[in-house]
Amino acid sequence: MLRSAFIFVALVIFGISGSGEANAAGAKEVYDFYCSQCHGATGKGDGPNVTKDMPVTPRNFTNAAEMNKLSDKDLRDVIMDGGPALSKSSIMPPWSQTLTEGETTGLIKHIRKLCKCKGK
Amino acid sequence: MVKRSKVARILALSVMATALIGFNASESRADAATGKKAFDSKKCGGCHYTTGPAREKTIADQLKKKGPELWYAGSKFQKEWLGAWLQNPKPIRPLAYNSLTKKNPGNHPKLAAGDAAGVTDYLMSLTSKDVAAGVIKAKKNLKGKLVFTKKMPCSGCHQYEMRKKVKGGLSGPSLVGAGKRLNPDWIYAYLKAPKAFKPVKMMPVFTGILSDKQMKDVSTFVANFK
Ligand code: HEC
Ligand code: HEC
Ligand code: HEC
Repeated sequence: MLRSAFIFVALVIFGISGSGEANAAGAKEVYDFYCSQCHGATGKGDGPNVTKDMPVTPRNFTNAAEMNKLSDKDLRDVIMDGGPALSKSSIMPPWSQTLTEGETTGLIKHIRKLCKCKGK
Repeated sequence: MVKRSKVARILALSVMATALIGFNASESRADAATGKKAFDSKKCGGCHYTTGPAREKTIADQLKKKGPELWYAGSKFQKEWLGAWLQNPKPIRPLAYNSLTKKNPGNHPKLAAGDAAGVTDYLMSLTSKDVAAGVIKAKKNLKGKLVFTKKMPCSGCHQYEMRKKVKGGLSGPSLVGAGKRLNPDWIYAYLKAPKAFKPVKMMPVFTGILSDKQMKDVSTFVANFK
């Protein structure tokens, strides 16, 4: 009896500390917070920052044909170092000092879901 | 003899001056205390926290906030602007706080002149040790302009005014008139050590991306927005 209570308590504690990983923000939460302000909630490139003043439109992530031209490494480079990393506009910000490796990997997977494409 | 009385006069004057300065300081402290009472009784603390250090650890923490943190208000704002804004709070952020879809409703609580003066003294007494004074002076700065408008995405998220035209993105606070609102030294301190003030925010961290010189240039440029 005592023993199973002990195991139960141990399991609960383990369960709580195990959920530490879930604390790292999920990819959708990260996307909604940092990226949707320009790329839009559904990735169509229509976030609230896209006004007539923006010199280029943010990439539409649902355009599979365009998104297929980019490898996962291209995505990582442009997310980390900004548009100029792929000779694109500097309006695409560099996020290397903001996002963790894990968050960036999560974002790449999230973008692939939005475009339903694998990339080159 | 003449010399003696001169010394005495200087002494007397300096004693008086010290007394005056002391009196002034205690008076503004009294105002800050009255201001804190007004701040509490108007329930400003329901949307703003006023004790540092920064508390936000996750995106969810930031999204739960109903208004910007004010614990370093005295380092961030210019006193004159603050006193006027509290009486006539025009929208600063184009969009509602923490929203990407709703317009700023422009319904911030207003204070009467008397309360505004006290609350201003109180908020100006809340400072951060991470803001060094006298580093940035507002003036024209072409290199800073280049960083803001070309090299970096600042204009993608912030409104600013150029040749009498307001342009730029909407997700960040408008920087139109930032030179009247923000302390130039705070702008630089924020770019240099953003996590001390805003650990979780939609703006990218530029430390390590912009050089120290570029941060000073762009702060000088932003501080000059009229
Ligand atoms: C300030 C607005 C803005 C924000 C915020 C932003 N982007 Fe972008 N992004 C752009 C613009 C503009 C482009 C298009 C650049 C071009 O075509 O020259 C772009 C392009 C891209 C591209 C495609 C690059 C290419 O070669 O076509 C990717 C991938 C991307 N962004 C990912 C992200 C991710 C992930 C985030 C969030 C961490 C994000 N962006 C946040 C504005 C933004
Ligand atoms: C219902 C929530 C709420 C209450 C109550 C409230 N505020 Fe605010 N406050 C906000 C929001 C939201 C903003 C951002 C407004 C904007 O950008 O236009 C703000 C902005 C401010 C700012 C400028 C801060 C910045 O970083 O731009 C100051 C100063 C301020 N409030 C003081 C006060 C005082 C003093 C009171 C009490 C009289 C008060 N607030 C009551 C929500 C609130
Ligand atoms: C992706 C959007 C984005 C980009 C790019 C961006 N900012 Fe911001 N900025 C914001 C947001 C959002 C805030 C408000 C953060 C908060 O209070 O949570 C902010 C806050 C600020 C503030 C403080 C304003 C205030 O009243 O509190 C200054 C100054 C500033 N940014 C300057 C800059 C400069 C200079 C650049 C370019 C080097 C830049 N920003 C790039 C989104 C952005």
